[in-house]
Amino acid sequence: MGDIYSIVGSAMEAQNTRMGVIASNLANADSVTPPGGTPYRAHEVVFQATPLDSSDDDADSGEIATDGTDAGGSSDMPAFGVKIAGTVLSNAAPTQNYDPTNPYADANGYVTGSNVSQVGQMVDLIDASNSYAADVAVLQQAGRVDQQMLSSFEVS
Amino acid sequence: MQVGFLNFYGSFLDVAQQRAALVANNIANADTPGFRAQDIPFDAAMSAELSPSPDPDAIAAAAPEYRADDTVALDGNDVSPDNERLEAAQNGERMIGAATFLHQSTADLVTALRPNPSGI
Repeated sequence: MGDIYSIVGSAMEAQNTRMGVIASNLANADSVTPPGGTPYRAHEVVFQATPLDSSDDDADSGEIATDGTDAGGSSDMPAFGVKIAGTVLSNAAPTQNYDPTNPYADANGYVTGSNVSQVGQMVDLIDASNSYAADVAVLQQAGRVDQQMLSSFEVS
Repeated sequence: MQVGFLNFYGSFLDVAQQRAALVANNIANADTPGFRAQDIPFDAAMSAELSPSPDPDAIAAAAPEYRADDTVALDGNDVSPDNERLEAAQNGERMIGAATFLHQSTADLVTALRPNPSGI
């Protein structure tokens, strides 16, 4: 089951990064920009399915390859995982609040905020949290199965 | 001498392990755009593992294939996390069950190999 730990590890790392990006978006939800500046735009991470042994450096990939052939026996199945392909910036329009007394207000009295949708980010956060919980469940189960395997080899 | 049950449970655990890795991969990629959930056909994989000589057709039939029955989301992803967790739980229980049976069979074998305690 060496496979599973790499896969789940990559997934947990990816979901963790996603939650970090969501936290950054929420933290900047109320950021304002002076007239002419670029407003904060929400970042969205994009995941990509990838074989683990091609993304790592040579020492690690060799280890994973030998581990896979050793554990899998006749299996020719590559080890997979998930990685973050990059982040894209949301194209939503930034908010405009009428607040003439604000020093960042433009000539018409509007203050440019960020384009972060707090509700959308919270939904995304719940999704990431659920995915993370699913990964943890798989990890726990893999550990349980491994433990059972070990105890099946101790002969009284 | 080849011990039959070791061969059988070995093959079963091999297939179950491959399935476990595929299901874990499906869950890991539950939010990946364009990812399609994969699984191996259990019957074909099991008969390929159990065949005494490597059969190219059987091995090809046991290759991972896409699940065809799930709804494809707007981003091209068709992983259903609930179904995958169900599969993971089921597969894990099967592995534990096989390990338990293997444990009992191994214990029986060891009992049979011991000298007769009553000395007859």
